[in-house]
Amino acid sequence: MADKATRAPTKAEPKQKGPPPTAVPPPKPKLSKAERRELQEKQRAAKSEAAAAGPSTKPGPAKQKPQKPSADAPPFSVAASQQGAAAPSRRRSFSSSTGPGAAHDIRSLHIFSHFGLPKSSSHGIKGDIHPAIVRLALQFSEFKIVGANARCIATLTAFKTLIQEYQTPPQITLSRHLMTYLSPQISYLVSAGRPMSVSMGNAIRHLKYEISILDIDMPEQDAKNFLCERINHFIRDRIVVADQVIQQLCLEKIHNGDIVLTYARSSVVEKALLEAHQAHISFSVIVVDSLPLGEAKHLLHTLTSAGIPTTYITLPALPSILSSVTTVLLGAHALHSNGALFSRAGTALVAMMARSRGVPVLVCCETYKFSDGVSLDSFTKNELAPAPKKSPNSTNPPNLHVLSPLYDLTPPSNITAVVTEVGLIPPSSVPMVISGRGLNQGA
Amino acid sequence: MPTDTKDRATQRQFEALVSKLRRRQLVGAHATAMQTVLLLRQVVSVHRMANIQELVHTVKSVGRELVAAQPKEHSVGNIVRKVLRLIREEHSASNTIGGSGTATPLPASAPLTPLDRSFSAHPPPSGPLSLGNFVLLGHQRHQPHARAEKHAHGSEDKTFITLKPVLIQAIQEVIDELETVYENVAKNARDHIHTDEIILTIGKSRTVEAFLKSAARDRRFTAIVAETAPSYSGREMAKSLAASGITTVLVPDSSIYALMTRVNKVILGAHAVLANGGMFAVAGSLMAATAAQAHATPVIVCTAQYKLTPLWNLYHEYGALDFSDPAAVLGLGQDAIADSVDVLNPYYDYVKPDLIDVLVTNYGDHSPSYVYRLVNETYDDADLEL
Repeated sequence: MADKATRAPTKAEPKQKGPPPTAVPPPKPKLSKAERRELQEKQRAAKSEAAAAGPSTKPGPAKQKPQKPSADAPPFSVAASQQGAAAPSRRRSFSSSTGPGAAHDIRSLHIFSHFGLPKSSSHGIKGDIHPAIVRLALQFSEFKIVGANARCIATLTAFKTLIQEYQTPPQITLSRHLMTYLSPQISYLVSAGRPMSVSMGNAIRHLKYEISILDIDMPEQDAKNFLCERINHFIRDRIVVADQVIQQLCLEKIHNGDIVLTYARSSVVEKALLEAHQAHISFSVIVVDSLPLGEAKHLLHTLTSAGIPTTYITLPALPSILSSVTTVLLGAHALHSNGALFSRAGTALVAMMARSRGVPVLVCCETYKFSDGVSLDSFTKNELAPAPKKSPNSTNPPNLHVLSPLYDLTPPSNITAVVTEVGLIPPSSVPMVISGRGLNQGA
Repeated sequence: MPTDTKDRATQRQFEALVSKLRRRQLVGAHATAMQTVLLLRQVVSVHRMANIQELVHTVKSVGRELVAAQPKEHSVGNIVRKVLRLIREEHSASNTIGGSGTATPLPASAPLTPLDRSFSAHPPPSGPLSLGNFVLLGHQRHQPHARAEKHAHGSEDKTFITLKPVLIQAIQEVIDELETVYENVAKNARDHIHTDEIILTIGKSRTVEAFLKSAARDRRFTAIVAETAPSYSGREMAKSLAASGITTVLVPDSSIYALMTRVNKVILGAHAVLANGGMFAVAGSLMAATAAQAHATPVIVCTAQYKLTPLWNLYHEYGALDFSDPAAVLGLGQDAIADSVDVLNPYYDYVKPDLIDVLVTNYGDHSPSYVYRLVNETYDDADLEL
């Protein structure tokens, strides 16, 4: 596993390092906007072509092949080519415990092979990666920083450091070069840490937009300060203030005597519950927890120390207790434009059971977590939880595999309303909010 | 247990079983059924029976106390009902074959004994109208033994003593059936699973385990096992399946919905199957079955016949309301917050019949809507209420 992990970046490297040398010279001669776009398009096409053909033509995977049982390779190359450029380094064998000749095992498991695997920490650092990003990637991969909001804020904070310490090379303006400097950093963060969350993606897209509209004549330090200020504003407007508005909206939905059920741990839900408690609403909370992460224990600590009467159950116990529940409050990792909620694994079960009993399901989600993609199942994009420290695999028979997806997808039909900073909206209104956002902010 | 038939050893065995049930030292449908039938064999063998009614009365009263000790172990009552039916059948068979010519049909106007009254066409409701005697009222069946009991009542039955070895043998057959029940449920497993399927199951059910292992002899498939908190019995199940050569994937409960898109069938075990076709099963079953329905995935329930229970559950949709040790959920002592938190650990879920596609039993495969019929065939109407 370890040598495969160190190998992964070498194979991802040429692809990511590739663009800057070819991309840097062209901007020097002044190109028209159309020409630039054409060039970009060409590069993008070449890139995706290379990625599609990748596993069969590139030397990287070929080197890996002899290590694996021969039947192992084809399914993974198939999975990788489907993934395309989106997931450059997720091509590792699903389970190292698979014995040779177990062709059937591999076939049955390769349906899960495109899930992002937890990265091992012994990931080689290549090129000019800023220490703040290296640290952040480590914190992500070890789940020290978990949650869409926390990860987004941590990433943006690290980018502020990066921008302040960045020096524009001579003859190039900041707005032209900063992106080429940031791209490898982002790639490293995604390949060594965890796959990019939708929240981070939206924040980074916003940052790129801010960089692109920078005035070329602005002095460098002013531009840096300006960008950092824009990042601060993003964190303030889209996350902190948005959360406060969501808390206020939740307050209206929690009444005296209510029993609120929540799953896992969402920072927004946690704050909303504490806020309601401070507003002297007497309600009780049922906290539902499940592996792989068992995050709800932290929420339980917070709520009980605040003095909120709390009940703690594991996920299978949910149906027994659901008859007494008045409201279900859920957090979100992302909300797709078809209204489907991408959130911690188990959320879909909670929403489904609640809807089958007619309990309203409220999803707390800041609009910056809205994704313009459409998702139909939990399979196309998912991530695996890290294996527990003391692996139960050690004594397990060879054809026993452990799989812990981190996320699942709740269909919009199981969501009553989405609590956002723009109000309580039905999940079907998500694309409208996204398009509105696009008009206002260009993000 | 009536004092007149008490044998000291039997009494001890009886009391031990009652306390084990009450203290939940003996759990699980199969284990409790087995202990019950062993006790009943003992009770019948030491019973100084004068006539069938005394024996039926004794067995019933034993059963009643066992059920009262642990009402959630439905298989106890079911096994008692089954033994009672065997007693009645053997008795009526011996009467017709032995040809004590007095067993002539009684006129319908004959005065009914209290025992007979319960299965006459229009019995006065003896107690509050419960679902149990609602079933009783609703369905009238031909009762060959009614005449036999009538005949036996009041007079010393000469042939009855000779019946004892036959009864013991019949009970022994129930024991044999219990011992081979897993193989018998599993014998048609290959008809339900085909090559390359992905099967999801939860927790550890020995019936499902035997079913999957039997299917694995002919079919190559993948089993996904959910851990099923807080007991995490799924881990044991996964190990056992993998050890017998089945490709097994152990997943946390939270991923059931996410994986359901790829699952071909959900196979669940049951704790008790009710007359309406619903079932009580390990907590988590309802969630798995509901998720399966959301994805139009068939749900197969593997159950032995002794789990068929003549009870209806139309109203208690919200679980079986039986709770277990909370320490397993949130380790007590090690956590300072444990004092200020309510922790619940329910044993069972109630799964509605419309969530179940087929019940695979040791007596063939049935749809849930047919269970009421199986119940009627398996137990005597007179024994529905012990």
